[in-house]
Amino acid sequence: MKYNLELIKNKIKIFSFSIFLILLSLLGILYSTFNTSYKKPINLGMDFVGGNELRIERVCEEECSNLSPDSVLENLREISSNKNFINNIKLQFQNNNKLISIRTPYLSIEESNNLITNLDNIIGPLNYESKDSRLIGPKLGKRLLTNCVTSLLVSLFAISLYITIRFDKKYALFALLALFHDLLIVFGIFSWLGILLSVEVNSLFAVSLLTIAGYSVNDTVVIFDRIRENLKSKEEGYNETIQLSVNESFRRTTFTSITTLIPLLSIILFGSYSLFWFSLALSLGIIVGSYSSILLAPSLLLKD
Amino acid sequence: MKRRQGWLFFIIFLLTLSVYLLINYPLQLGLDLQGGSQLTLQIIKEEGKVTRDELEAVYSVIDKRVNNLGVSESNLQTLGGDQLILELPGEQNPLVSSRVLGKTALLEFRTQKEGTSTDLKNLQLQRLSIKELIEQYSIEEKNQNNDYYLKVIQDDLKDIEQELNYSSTSNDLYGKLIEIKKYVDKEITNLFIKTDLSGKDLINAGRRQEQTNSNWEVLLTFSSSGGEKFAEITKSIAGTNQLLAIILDGESISEASVGNQFASTGITGGSATISGNFSAENARELEVQLKGGSLPLPIEIVETNTIGALLGSKNILKSLYAAISGLIFVGIFMIFNYRILGFVSVLSLVLYGFFNLALYSLIPVTLTLPGISGLILSIGMAVDANILIFERIREELYDGNTLSRAIDSGFQRANSSIVDGHITTLLSCFVLFLLGTNFVKGFAATLGIGVLISLFTSLNCSKTILRFFTTYQSLRQKNLYLPKNNFSN
Repeated sequence: MKYNLELIKNKIKIFSFSIFLILLSLLGILYSTFNTSYKKPINLGMDFVGGNELRIERVCEEECSNLSPDSVLENLREISSNKNFINNIKLQFQNNNKLISIRTPYLSIEESNNLITNLDNIIGPLNYESKDSRLIGPKLGKRLLTNCVTSLLVSLFAISLYITIRFDKKYALFALLALFHDLLIVFGIFSWLGILLSVEVNSLFAVSLLTIAGYSVNDTVVIFDRIRENLKSKEEGYNETIQLSVNESFRRTTFTSITTLIPLLSIILFGSYSLFWFSLALSLGIIVGSYSSILLAPSLLLKD
Repeated sequence: MKRRQGWLFFIIFLLTLSVYLLINYPLQLGLDLQGGSQLTLQIIKEEGKVTRDELEAVYSVIDKRVNNLGVSESNLQTLGGDQLILELPGEQNPLVSSRVLGKTALLEFRTQKEGTSTDLKNLQLQRLSIKELIEQYSIEEKNQNNDYYLKVIQDDLKDIEQELNYSSTSNDLYGKLIEIKKYVDKEITNLFIKTDLSGKDLINAGRRQEQTNSNWEVLLTFSSSGGEKFAEITKSIAGTNQLLAIILDGESISEASVGNQFASTGITGGSATISGNFSAENARELEVQLKGGSLPLPIEIVETNTIGALLGSKNILKSLYAAISGLIFVGIFMIFNYRILGFVSVLSLVLYGFFNLALYSLIPVTLTLPGISGLILSIGMAVDANILIFERIREELYDGNTLSRAIDSGFQRANSSIVDGHITTLLSCFVLFLLGTNFVKGFAATLGIGVLISLFTSLNCSKTILRFFTTYQSLRQKNLYLPKNNFSN
C-alpha cells in the first residue's frame, strides 16, 4: 500500500490552510481579549482566578423533579445574609436534574458549608458522599497562573534547545515553527470555545499544551529523521526525496496518532468529567500536530 | 538465541515480581479516587522570602496540631518553599481542621496599665454587647423574613459605634459586626503591657468542664522557668486593681485580678486555667493549638478540595473503563494492521501496564485522576515505538528480506527516532514535575515513568517475544506479518 501525497504540488494550499487557521486563532484571541466580559486572551477558569466550585447530587426516589435554577437562586437569596455573593452565583442542573453544579466567588469553608446547608433546605436531601467541592483563594490562583506560564516557557525553551543541538539549524527552526503553529491553534480553539460556550481553561489545559508540545515535536522529528536518512542515500532530487520520505512515514504518523487518540477518546467517553476538556485539548493537539508534521513542516523544507 | 532466552526468563521474572509487588504493596490512591479533603496552606510573610528554617518550623507546628486533632490518617507535605499541603483521607468536612490549623495561636500574658480601669470597664461592656449582637445575627440569619430583626441589630450596632467613636467601613452587616469586635479587642489589648511570658513557656495544655456550669476551661502547664515568670508577674500586680490578661492572637480571652494573698510569692505551682466561656469544641481546639505551639508565621488556607467517598469510587470505576476500553481498542487496531506483530505489541502493552503499576507501588506514586490520564495517554505513546519498528520490518519484508533479517534491522533502524521522540516528551514531563502543582505532578510522574518503561517494553520485550514466536516454524510465514492483499505488490 503506497501513499502518494503530492506535497510539492499542494505547497501553496497547505500554507494557505495553515495561515487561515492561524488567523482564525488570532482573531479568537483578540476578540476574547477586547470584546468579552473577562478581557483575557482565553477564559481563565477557577484555578487561575480563584473561586468556589461545588458539585453535589440530590437524593431522589425515582426521577429528580424539574427545578428552575432561577427559583432556587431566589430561595437562596431569601435565606442568605450575604446578598452580594448570591448575585454572582451560577447554578446549573445536570444529569436529569440530579447533579447540582454551582460556581461562586471565593468563599471560606464556613460560608461554603452554609451554602450547602441552605441548598439542602431548599432542594434537599443531598447526597454528601457525592460531594465535590473546590475552594481556591485568589492569591493561589495568580500563583498557579504564573507557574503554568513559566512551565510552558521553560519547557518550550528546553525543547528548542534540544532540537537545535540535535538537528541542523534549518530543521530545528521548521520543527519549532510547526510546534508553535500547533499550540497557537489549540489555544485559539479554546479562545473560541470560551467566547461561544464559556468553556474555561484550568491548570490541566496548560498541562495539555505542554504534552502537545512534546508530542508535536516527536512527530516532526521522526519525519525529519527519515528525510535526513533518505537525503544521504537516495538519488532523487531534493524536493522529491522529501515528498518520498513523508509518504514513507505517513502510515507511522497516522497510526501513532490513532493509537494515541483511541485512549483519549475512551477518557472523553467513559472517564471522569474533570478530564473531559483536558482530553479534548489533547485530542485536538494530536490532530493538528499530525497535520503539521506530515504536511506543514516538510513543505517548509521544500525548495522553490 | 541463548541470549534471547535469557531475556525471556528475565521478563517473566519481572512480571512475577510486579504481580507480587502489586498484591503486597497496594497502590496509593489520591484523594480524588478515595474521597477526602485536601488543604493548601500558604505561609504569609510580609517582607522577604520564607526561609527553610521558617518553613520547617511551621511544618512541625502544623504536624503536631494535626496529630493532636486525632485524625486517623493524614499526610503533610511542603510545596514550593512557602506552602504546605495537608491531605485528610476520608474527611468530608474540613471545617474544624481548618479552624485549628489556620490560627497562629500566639498566646501572650499581659498586665494592665495603671489607671485604665474605667476605660477597660467601658470596653468590656461594649465587647459584651457586640458579642450578643453577633449571636443574635447568627440566629436571625437562618430565619426567613428576618428584615425587621436585622434592622434592630443594625440600630444597636450604630449605638455601639457612637459609644466607641468609631465607624465601620465594611459593606455588609456581618462584616461590620466582626470589624467592630476586632476594634474593641484591639483597644482592650492596648490597655495591657507585654510580659516575657508567652505560649513558648508551656509544656502542656488540657481541658476540663467547669464545676459550676457546663462551660469548659483550658488548663495550662508551664515549664519551670515559665512557672517562675508567672509567679513573678502575678506577684507584681497582686492586690492592685491591675488585671492579668491572657491574649490569644491579639484577642483577650480572659482578664482576671490577682488576689492580695499572692502579694508575697505570686501564684506558684506552674499552672493556670483560662475560663472564657468555652464550649467543649472550642476548648478542644484551643488545647490542640496550644499543645502544638504558636506558628512562627501566620498561614492562610488558600485552597480546599473536598471529594465525597462515593464520587471517589465512581472516579476509579470510570478510569478503569477508560483504561481498559482504550487498551482493547488499541489492541484491535494493532492486530488488524500488523497481524502477529500486532499481537506481540499487545503482549508487550500488557507487560507495560504491569510494570508501570508495580513501579507506582514501589516508588511510591500516589495515583490521581490526572495521573491515570497520564498512564492512559502513555499507552498510545508506548505503542508508537512499536509502530515505528513494525513499519520498518514491513518495509524490509517488502524489499524481499528474510523474516529474521527484517526483524533485526527493523529494531535497529527505528532506534534513533524512538529515542529522539521520547526525549522531547520526557523534557516536558521533567519541567512539569519541577514546576507543577501537586495535581500536575501526578500527570507528569505517570507519563514520564510510562515513557521510560515503554523504551524497555517496546524495544526489549517486543523483540524477545517476537524472537520467541519465530522459533516456531508455523509462525514464520510472511503472510502472518503482512496483510495478504498487500503482499503481492
